[in-house]
Amino acid sequence: MKNRLPLQPVIVMRLLGALGIIGAITVFYFRVFSVNNVTVALSFLLAVLVIAARWGLFEALVAAVAAMLCFNFFFLPPVGTFTIADPQNWVALSAFVVTAAIASHLSTRVRKQALESARRQQEMERLYTFSRNLLLLEVHGPVAQEITNLISQVFELPGVAFFDRSSDRVHRAGPHDIPVEATKLRDTAVQATVFHDAATKTTVIPISLGGPPIGSLGIQGTQVSETALHAIGNLTAITLERAHAQDVATRAEAARQSEELKSTMLDALAHEFKTPLTPIKAAVTSMLSDSDINPTRQELLRIVDEETDRLNFMLTEAIQMSRIEAGQFRLHRSPQPLSKIIQAQLDKLGEDLEGRKLTVEVPQSLPYVSADREFLGVVIWQFLNNALRYTPPSSPLTLRACAGEAEVIVSLEDCGPGIPEPEQRRVFDKFYRGKDQRERIPGTGMGLTIAREIVRAHRGRIWVESKPGKGATFSFSVPRAPKESGL
Amino acid sequence: MSSARILVVDDEPQIRRVMLTTLVARGYVVSTARNGEEALEKVREERFDLVLLDINMPGIGGMEACRLIRSQSDIPIVILSIRNTEKEKVEALDAGADDYVTKPFSMPELLARIRAALRRGPLSTSSTAEVLNLGQTVINFVARRVTVNGTDVRLTPKEYDLLRYFASNPDVAIPHAKLLQAVWGPDYGEEVEYLRVFINQLRKKIEPDPSHPAYLLTEPWVGYRLSLPKD
Repeated sequence: MKNRLPLQPVIVMRLLGALGIIGAITVFYFRVFSVNNVTVALSFLLAVLVIAARWGLFEALVAAVAAMLCFNFFFLPPVGTFTIADPQNWVALSAFVVTAAIASHLSTRVRKQALESARRQQEMERLYTFSRNLLLLEVHGPVAQEITNLISQVFELPGVAFFDRSSDRVHRAGPHDIPVEATKLRDTAVQATVFHDAATKTTVIPISLGGPPIGSLGIQGTQVSETALHAIGNLTAITLERAHAQDVATRAEAARQSEELKSTMLDALAHEFKTPLTPIKAAVTSMLSDSDINPTRQELLRIVDEETDRLNFMLTEAIQMSRIEAGQFRLHRSPQPLSKIIQAQLDKLGEDLEGRKLTVEVPQSLPYVSADREFLGVVIWQFLNNALRYTPPSSPLTLRACAGEAEVIVSLEDCGPGIPEPEQRRVFDKFYRGKDQRERIPGTGMGLTIAREIVRAHRGRIWVESKPGKGATFSFSVPRAPKESGL
Repeated sequence: MSSARILVVDDEPQIRRVMLTTLVARGYVVSTARNGEEALEKVREERFDLVLLDINMPGIGGMEACRLIRSQSDIPIVILSIRNTEKEKVEALDAGADDYVTKPFSMPELLARIRAALRRGPLSTSSTAEVLNLGQTVINFVARRVTVNGTDVRLTPKEYDLLRYFASNPDVAIPHAKLLQAVWGPDYGEEVEYLRVFINQLRKKIEPDPSHPAYLLTEPWVGYRLSLPKD
């Protein structure tokens, strides 16, 4: 749409003023003070120049034409006619017009620049206020609505709409409801293109921080430049990102605390259970060590003893698990003879083997490993215990260890039923127990998780290879000790 | 069997009960205490041959009680604790305990440990010199006295036994397991941390510069060695 001619009251007043000045000069020189034509022309020129500088091109052109007509009619011979006899006088006339045009153009430009810089300064001040307020904003809770309110207040916009993609909500602020629909805002955020409607003076821009847009911002009004609008968008994005990060951190902290509390309670509970187990174990083992005990009683007492051990084992696992989960376990690593750690665990096995065939292929010349003796022992124990429980009593086991360049690999091979492919990845997960074993074999489902966490803490690897029906091989690796170190 | 006097310290009445019954049946003379304070009092008033000490007790607790008993007596102390981390074991040994048994324990195992702790060894005395002279440090095995620069230094029985075993096998690297079996008993051999603690304590007592030992030397991968002065 084209702008209409500016015929507002101010312009009319200025036009009358301009004509008045020209009229006054004409009357003054024609009636009051008679001078030569050059002086008159210079006076007119001065008047046109002043009008052009003060008011603008339109007023100056009207004044220039009026001055030319007056100069021609009243002062140029033949006086009293609009005829111009001397061609030199055309020069004088065109001088008025050109002066008016150039002077007004220059002054308009200066004025425009002044206005523009004033506007920019204001915009900068507002942006500064906006960013300062954003920094002071409490980033807990509904930040998006507060940011929207802030934009409307600081930039004095009649209507602001902000679409937050993460919550899929539109926030609006300002005295007038901005005529932009939620779908438009959503589309802008998705397509990442700027939308502008001159009729309603609305602009919608996508908001992003490098990546895909996280929302869109719509404003009504023309007082905000596009540059400033993008600055607002960026500041908004940063604030939202900050709020989001803080939110995530708070949630992670809460989760960590709850996990820690759980672990502490589990740990305390397990210790409480171990206290009554102590006199039970002491009493039953004391009775079992009597030489003149009858076989029936001995068998019954043995059951009590074994079950006490099982309960104790489960509690120990629970304590280990809770320590590992709370991140409380610290490795005391030093160069360790792996063969000795393995031997110690095999010694512990004792009667648990129940006559099962266990082949040990561990060379005595195995290099030292950088490990925590106690924890690495737990890993080997868990492997052995796992194999004993989940494979048939008649199937043989083979424990192997071999040294590589930088690590030593320990593996335990069984000839059990094997582990189906989809379950292989999950056997190390907490509380996960194989589908077929869940009901038949008692266990906590924590053993292999404990083993995995310990191996990880050693920066080693743990894995299982298996073909259903052909047994499984559980392996882990642990880094070798540096050569020059000693115990 | 024996009439050694044992003090059982535990805040759990059922544990005191079972220990009392079992140990008395084995011929020991048993007295009980419910906490660290009571234990200290009893140790001051009566003579005991062994203390079985719980760690987790109200009041001063077992660790502190162990330290206080050790500061006034050489009596063997065996810790009984539910916690079984190496850190706890080392802390207890540092506090002066001779041995550490994890609860729940089997009675035959505990009895073996008690016997080991009570054993005051004539450890192959035949080859041991009566007096060992290490420059400023003089050890008299007959009088059971150790003097450094003329002043008496007190060794706990286990420290003394360890030093005596070294003295009877000077200038040889002794493997960890062999040392443990000789000083603690045949059931031992894996408790390398015991040796670390006790060797450190011995070094503090007899070495001129404990951080750069001149006599009690570490043999990497193997064990320890007593190096006699070359003069």
